[in-house]
Amino acid sequence: MKSVTTNSMHTPAPAQAHEADALAVSALVDGELDDALARPLLRRLAPGGPERECFREYSLIGDTLRGLDHDMPDLTNRVMAALEGEPTLLAPMRKPHRQRPALWLAAAAVAAITWGLWSAGPSPESPASLAANPNATPAMAANAPGNVMPYLAAHQDFAQAVVSPPEMRFTRVTLAGTGQ
Amino acid sequence: MLLGLAACGAQAAEPLPPAEAAAWLQRMADAPRRLAYEGVFVFQHGDAAMQSLQVANRPAVSGKDSRLTAMDGLQREVRCTQGVSTSLMTEGGQLKVERRLNNRHFPDLLPVNAGALANWYAVRLGEFSRVAGLDCQQVELAPKDVFRWGYVLCAEKDTALPLKAAMINESGRLLMQYTFAEIRFGATPRSAPAPLPETPANARPVASERVGVKNLPPGFTRITAVNRKLPNKSNEVEHWVFSDGLTHISLFLEPASHPVESMRGQSKLGMINMLTRQVGPMQATILGDAPWPAVEAIAMSLEARLPAGAPR
Repeated sequence: MKSVTTNSMHTPAPAQAHEADALAVSALVDGELDDALARPLLRRLAPGGPERECFREYSLIGDTLRGLDHDMPDLTNRVMAALEGEPTLLAPMRKPHRQRPALWLAAAAVAAITWGLWSAGPSPESPASLAANPNATPAMAANAPGNVMPYLAAHQDFAQAVVSPPEMRFTRVTLAGTGQ
Repeated sequence: MLLGLAACGAQAAEPLPPAEAAAWLQRMADAPRRLAYEGVFVFQHGDAAMQSLQVANRPAVSGKDSRLTAMDGLQREVRCTQGVSTSLMTEGGQLKVERRLNNRHFPDLLPVNAGALANWYAVRLGEFSRVAGLDCQQVELAPKDVFRWGYVLCAEKDTALPLKAAMINESGRLLMQYTFAEIRFGATPRSAPAPLPETPANARPVASERVGVKNLPPGFTRITAVNRKLPNKSNEVEHWVFSDGLTHISLFLEPASHPVESMRGQSKLGMINMLTRQVGPMQATILGDAPWPAVEAIAMSLEARLPAGAPR
């Protein structure tokens, strides 16, 4: 579930603002945007506005995923071709920020932080950015990296019952900054 | 996750204060070790077929003396006694006996220091329920970040023994669950199991470390680092295990015989995530019953270390 928040304390940078707008439009298309936030956004969907183009794109993608693209037979191919060109790119986890002790001394602050995490869903330390890499080879790989069953079997030492290792599906990925 | 856990316990209250949450976790962690019980529980992985297992447990000076026996399919058994866990499997008439690195199994889900889990999970009390004819209190563990799955446990009303445990992903989908079908408290006379054959330890501590981990997901520490022999592998591999006490992620390290292509693996329901990559001269395989961000974070934190005395 997406989380859309507003902050009246400062003016966001253009890139941040664009990202927030895109998130809001995505949430609107998915029917997940709160009414109070949806109304001003709908007003901004005027012809020629940047949000309108974003809304159109998200709607087309949504229709394609739901199989509602019969009137545009080429659309699926175009969307899928675009997705094919975007393999997963993995990047290192950001160094966690050191918590300031003062934050944790105040019971009220602790309560507020806990509530915030519950409300926003799990996302505080997103470990890696998944991004498009046009130079990498995409797609599902049919062949597993060697025989992985011994690893899966050994990891079953930590299973809570006696279970057989499951079947796995594999995808080739590109690791940021490693040349792999 | 919130929606998923709420669906399992419609009347879930506010998260418990940290001290109370820690106390509940610790009660549920202690119960399987201090109680004697015997029973049968059912294990289900997603929508796959169910499996029945018989469990018998007695407290012992060394912690516990337990025996887990699969009642369906292949003859498999786990025995934990005197701090040593052994796996026995009969296949094609051959008995295979192996030491396990971990001596816990359901309902012994939570670590010895379970109270610390309250740092990483919001704990809520749900509804009262009934499992195996006993009243139990639902206890929900919702992760505070993306690095662990959520759990709904049902703790027996008087003893806090977990009678049921369900693992739930971030979308609220059930990944696996364990549920007692019948349970009887108290030790009962039973015939002693056949003595175990002599099982030499198949793991020894890692001597030198050729790979380092820059930073781990919050709450995770390395709990094991051994050299061990794996089936169908001619040479020993290093097996490291990282855990927050509830989630376990394995790292296998071995010399890369050829350039390693980075591959991501995922089980059918996404419960097990895996990544294979090259780190310096080593092939690293990272996998766990953990969300992808946790596996990915550890995999991307690996770095090759120069041998001692090597020029920098």
